[in-house]
Amino acid sequence: MSEPVIFRMGIPVMDHSGKQVGTLEQLVFNETQKKIVELVVRELSGLRRIPMELVSEVSPSVIRLTTTVTEAGLSRWPLFHPDEYEEVPSWFFPPGAHIEIGALVTLKPYDVRELGDQAAITRRDFMARSTLIVASMIGVSLVVPIAGYILTATQTKVADHWVNLGIALDSLPVDTPVAHEFFGTSVSGWMKVPVSRTVWLIHHSHPNTPDSTPEDQVLGMDSPLELRNSDPRLTVLSPVCPHLGCAPQWTPDKKEFICPCHHSIYQLNGKRIGGPAPRPMDSLPVRVEKDGTISIVYEQFVVGIPKKVRLS
Amino acid sequence: MQSSRPNRLVEYLDERIRVRSLMQFLLAEPMPGGARWAYVFGSMVLFSLIIQFVTGVMLAFDYGGTPDHAWDSVNYIDHLKYGALPVGRLIRGFHYWGASVMVILVGMHLLQVFIWGAYKRPREVMWLVGVVLLALTMVAAFTGYLLPWDERAYWGTIVGTNMMGIIPVVGPVIKSAIRGGTGLGALTLSHFFAIHTMVLPSLFITFFVLHMVIFRRVGPAGPYKGSVSELEHKKEFFYPRQVLMDSLGMLFIFILVGTLAILFPPGLEAMANPANSTYSPTPAWYFDWIFQLLKLIRPEIAGVLGIPLIVGILLVLWPFFDKKPERSPFKRPVVVSTVLVSLVIIIVLSLKAEAGYKPMVDLNRDAMARGKIVFDHSGCIGCHMLDGKGGKVGPDLSEEGLVGHTEHWLITQFVNSKSHFPNSPMPDFTFLKPDQLKDLAQYISSLGRAGWPDPTAPSPPGHGS
Repeated sequence: MSEPVIFRMGIPVMDHSGKQVGTLEQLVFNETQKKIVELVVRELSGLRRIPMELVSEVSPSVIRLTTTVTEAGLSRWPLFHPDEYEEVPSWFFPPGAHIEIGALVTLKPYDVRELGDQAAITRRDFMARSTLIVASMIGVSLVVPIAGYILTATQTKVADHWVNLGIALDSLPVDTPVAHEFFGTSVSGWMKVPVSRTVWLIHHSHPNTPDSTPEDQVLGMDSPLELRNSDPRLTVLSPVCPHLGCAPQWTPDKKEFICPCHHSIYQLNGKRIGGPAPRPMDSLPVRVEKDGTISIVYEQFVVGIPKKVRLS
Repeated sequence: MQSSRPNRLVEYLDERIRVRSLMQFLLAEPMPGGARWAYVFGSMVLFSLIIQFVTGVMLAFDYGGTPDHAWDSVNYIDHLKYGALPVGRLIRGFHYWGASVMVILVGMHLLQVFIWGAYKRPREVMWLVGVVLLALTMVAAFTGYLLPWDERAYWGTIVGTNMMGIIPVVGPVIKSAIRGGTGLGALTLSHFFAIHTMVLPSLFITFFVLHMVIFRRVGPAGPYKGSVSELEHKKEFFYPRQVLMDSLGMLFIFILVGTLAILFPPGLEAMANPANSTYSPTPAWYFDWIFQLLKLIRPEIAGVLGIPLIVGILLVLWPFFDKKPERSPFKRPVVVSTVLVSLVIIIVLSLKAEAGYKPMVDLNRDAMARGKIVFDHSGCIGCHMLDGKGGKVGPDLSEEGLVGHTEHWLITQFVNSKSHFPNSPMPDFTFLKPDQLKDLAQYISSLGRAGWPDPTAPSPPGHGS
């Protein structure tokens, strides 16, 4: 690439015969052509725009024109009206020219030139506001279904699903919890997976005594489903510790459920007698069928809170 | 240039990331000749791509990309509701119709650039990047077609990949590399899913950015007529008028895609069944003209290899071949009319292909249910197989509804099968009343289409039980 042409503001502009006609004031840039198209020259009558075609030489000290200027000076060329122009941002500087900052100007946009700064700006504001409205219309109508789509999971209710455990009440030992394992179904979206689950089954020798009534029932924490489906002969407890979700274990010699994680201690009916747990062990809905077998609904509850809140 | 009201957030950001000059750079793009409606197509394409990105991510949230779950998961999405709002079907509809609309918009954008002569010097490289974006759009459409893993998807992809296999020497290798084996299976689905959701979006972003960078370097081509000083006089900046026009164009596209998604939700055919020998696959509508053209060209290989090759080479080489600076379409009559004629040919071929597909019989649920009773009481199952049960004398009817026989053809078949198949052992069911024949035809037409496996079941069984 050749050396850039240097435009220095304030240098004399000379005509063909070497007579000084004025000084260089500014340069006019045409953005479409991406080049400097006019010089703004200051002379006694004001600022004049002279096309670049008339320039024969540009040096840091002088600019020469190809024409000869008569007595009338530069009045042949149009006046430069500063309010029709605006400064060119630095990234528009044309290649191959070196210009002192602030010296390059370009025509203002059409609407500003025609309507004036004030009117054009109100028009611009109107258009900006319309654009904003259109964008918000699109945004809102897209966000609503998307938010709904993401939130559908929060609305999905787990159906109350009765599982027959296939074990008869009479076959259970009395006053000793049995950890009964069975297969349930875990539903996640479009996928159903068989999962192995465990519940504590407690067959009471003396129904309707304080010791054989689930503590949840005593404290009135049961949901309608659990209230409707309970049997005085039997308590079914969830294996999940209501403290933080560990699995309490039955300790036969102490006759207590003890959670290995944080040492929450529960009695046979789920009553908490020690440790950090916020509520008794959760009892589950149960039903003894005509043939003597046990059916339950496997529910899960929020852990760590005093209330018994079912996971939907 | 903007009237800058004091805004603390803008002040904060301006001090740290010089947001004002950034916005100035983005918005103060000079447009010779001023803002025009003719310039909205590029923005519309970008917007349709954004719709695809957003809804595609949503679909991927709930999609299971294996053959044993893909169909279930798409079916699950189709039934997702938030309250009464069928959000799943809506989002899938947006993605489905968004793809079609994007293909049309890309085509219009390309056509406009061609007719305006905007690809000419110095914008050849920008054109090439655009051709790459066109190819990406087509690959996205092809790979997305398989993902629901229904019959249409499966058989369409079988045919599509088989076509690649015809290419001499490298064809078989390409085909089995794409499929991940000889047949369509788990690997095919994973490959297509990875291409559709990982490879293509990154390439789309890369080439879109390149397209834009080049655009800002060379500037918009502007109108093909008008002198330099005239264009300079009418010059405007991108902001605010063109931005407003572009956003209205985008709103139009949004309303169009939304309307299509609500009025014509994308269907889901029965789960892909590789054993189904009666399914007649049809391509997505934007490949229709190729499908129709392929029927006309023999040997097959000439068409399979020739059409994409000729179209591709023409698109890539055209700006280097046509170097005359003249941009006005009225002064380039041969080139422009050739393109317009090709467009008409493509449209005619597409319409012909669509008409060639056997239309499915319109279904009436009540008639279907009555037809099922006729079917059960007439002993059809004695000779015909239906979902694995029944005799083997006649053809399996499990997916008869997809074969595309008309109601009239079916009724004729019931009462006089010899007229279609002279050696048919099928008895003439002349004892059926005309209403019963019509109901039976409805039921037969529904098999394999509405609901699966039993079309008369009211709705898919609920979850959680």
